[in-house]
Amino acid sequence: MQFVQFVINGLMAGALYALIAIGIVAVYKSTRVVNFAHGYMIMIGAYLYYTFAVLLPDASWAPAWLSGWTPEWVIAGKNSAKMFSPAAAFYDWIPNIPRIIFGLVCAILGSGLLALIIERFLMRPLLGQSNFSMIMITVGLISVLSGFKSLFWTGDAASVPHLTPNPAFRLDLFGTPIFIFGANFMSMIMAALIFGFIVYWLRHSSAGVAIRAVSEDQSTAYSMGINVPRVFAQAWLIAAATGAVAGAVLAARDGVSPSLGLFGFSVLAIVLMGGLDSFVGVFIAAMLVGVLEALVQWQLGGTWVEIAPYVAVLVVILIRPYGLMGHPEVERI
Amino acid sequence: MLSVENIDVVYHHTVQALRGMSLDVPKGKIVALLGSNGAGKTTTLKTASNLVQLENGHVREGRIRFKDQNIAQLSADALVHQGLFHIREGRRIFSELTVDDNLVAASYALKGRNIRPDYEKIYSFFPRLKERRKQVAGYLSGGEQQMLAFGRAMIAAPEMILMDEPSLGLAPKIITEIFDTIRRLNADDGITILLVEQNAHLAFSIADYSYIMESGQIVMEGRSEKLRDDPDVRSFYLGVGDEGSERTSFRDVKHYKRRKRWLS
Repeated sequence: MQFVQFVINGLMAGALYALIAIGIVAVYKSTRVVNFAHGYMIMIGAYLYYTFAVLLPDASWAPAWLSGWTPEWVIAGKNSAKMFSPAAAFYDWIPNIPRIIFGLVCAILGSGLLALIIERFLMRPLLGQSNFSMIMITVGLISVLSGFKSLFWTGDAASVPHLTPNPAFRLDLFGTPIFIFGANFMSMIMAALIFGFIVYWLRHSSAGVAIRAVSEDQSTAYSMGINVPRVFAQAWLIAAATGAVAGAVLAARDGVSPSLGLFGFSVLAIVLMGGLDSFVGVFIAAMLVGVLEALVQWQLGGTWVEIAPYVAVLVVILIRPYGLMGHPEVERI
Repeated sequence: MLSVENIDVVYHHTVQALRGMSLDVPKGKIVALLGSNGAGKTTTLKTASNLVQLENGHVREGRIRFKDQNIAQLSADALVHQGLFHIREGRRIFSELTVDDNLVAASYALKGRNIRPDYEKIYSFFPRLKERRKQVAGYLSGGEQQMLAFGRAMIAAPEMILMDEPSLGLAPKIITEIFDTIRRLNADDGITILLVEQNAHLAFSIADYSYIMESGQIVMEGRSEKLRDDPDVRSFYLGVGDEGSERTSFRDVKHYKRRKRWLS
């Protein structure tokens, strides 16, 4: 029954991959640009979260309401709760709420601003040029963003507060104990909700129709009266916002460090496996890779974890070059 | 309504597609633009709808005015909001979107104009689209795709439509339907139409006024009836020789580009 434990771990990791992947797919779907720098945008998002949720509230001049919110009932609750119980985790989390909200909002705004700058000054001037040049720009952005990060932050790893309470649950399934960390579980739920919302929005709103129309044929989208540059900006904003949330979750789970960028980068392989232009396919691929990693870790040990998912990705791409659920072009025969 | 005044259009700073092209489309009329392949008909339309910039084309000289305002300051999408809609060559429907979503995309043309998109009107106009409204548009037949392209134009409630070869690749029966539709759009909704067409017979039958283009400029213009009876147009564009005369070799046919004009 260890199997169930590892599948659950895999799903929780997979949800995070999915959350990262949203941004790559959203940008690709509307602009046909594979954003190689998305992982590094996530890293910047994580550092922004770190700055506004840890560094700033801990500064001596920060207002008291920001650094901790401890009403009477929290202190009382904390004293009465048992050590390591879910209730204790909950009361531990309450004082962090102001800094979490402040950090997350600032991370989303900051990432959004960064994305708008990238879109406006690096991508838009290249409209109408070959897509390849835009893709090369995103490759260059990797170095720019890593350098930008070193300008403001050190390379030391640091920890940041979880977005949600983080109790450890222990379940007994047919006699085998299964551990679940609350924060990981909650971020899985959160990722699934964000994912579901965006897919629904793309399918059923007129803004979603505009994004899909632009992705298929820019100049005809123009001739429908769609403001194409604004659609591009929208896609980059979606990528930035989901990326900032993913960054915050990742930072809470693994700690903030420059390696977050590389982690985000590796999600690109998952996106290719799912099909660059299919949210659903990418979600399935993210879950598959998450579970596969966990199972490999269980059966073959940690050394295999690094390569096993990529072998799977390779196999899928060999069989279906456009990914699990990517669109081969629709053509009437 | 639309006046093209002496424009020069150059692609990639090297290829000159239009030289001193001028034409005028009065409000409420159908005007046809005829010419052989590569004469610059499509470029004229793209320049009028400001799409030419997306293909690295630049207007070097002259100007285009729509409703008495110079279009150079407007972006392509803003021009659509002003009421100028372009049905592009080869229909260019969004083949991965459903029929419904194609129409929703066109409803962006109404942004800021206080008109609600009237989908039911389109579906009663083209009942065949209604049967297929949930289908992916790429799987429609050519005729249905052209209907969809027209449907998108109608959703956009334009004052003027630029039509680029609506008969392209369609069966004769469907072409007749399409041209009936064009007539209805003009007569019922009062939409001004600039029509680019290879089929000169059809174009003369529908247009009030016609222009003939060759290598980037207008070589002939006039009321459609008058052009239709012109002996040169008859032999060159309609393929009808003078009665009783010998078959003439293509080499001997008069090419208008050879005619000396004071402009060139």
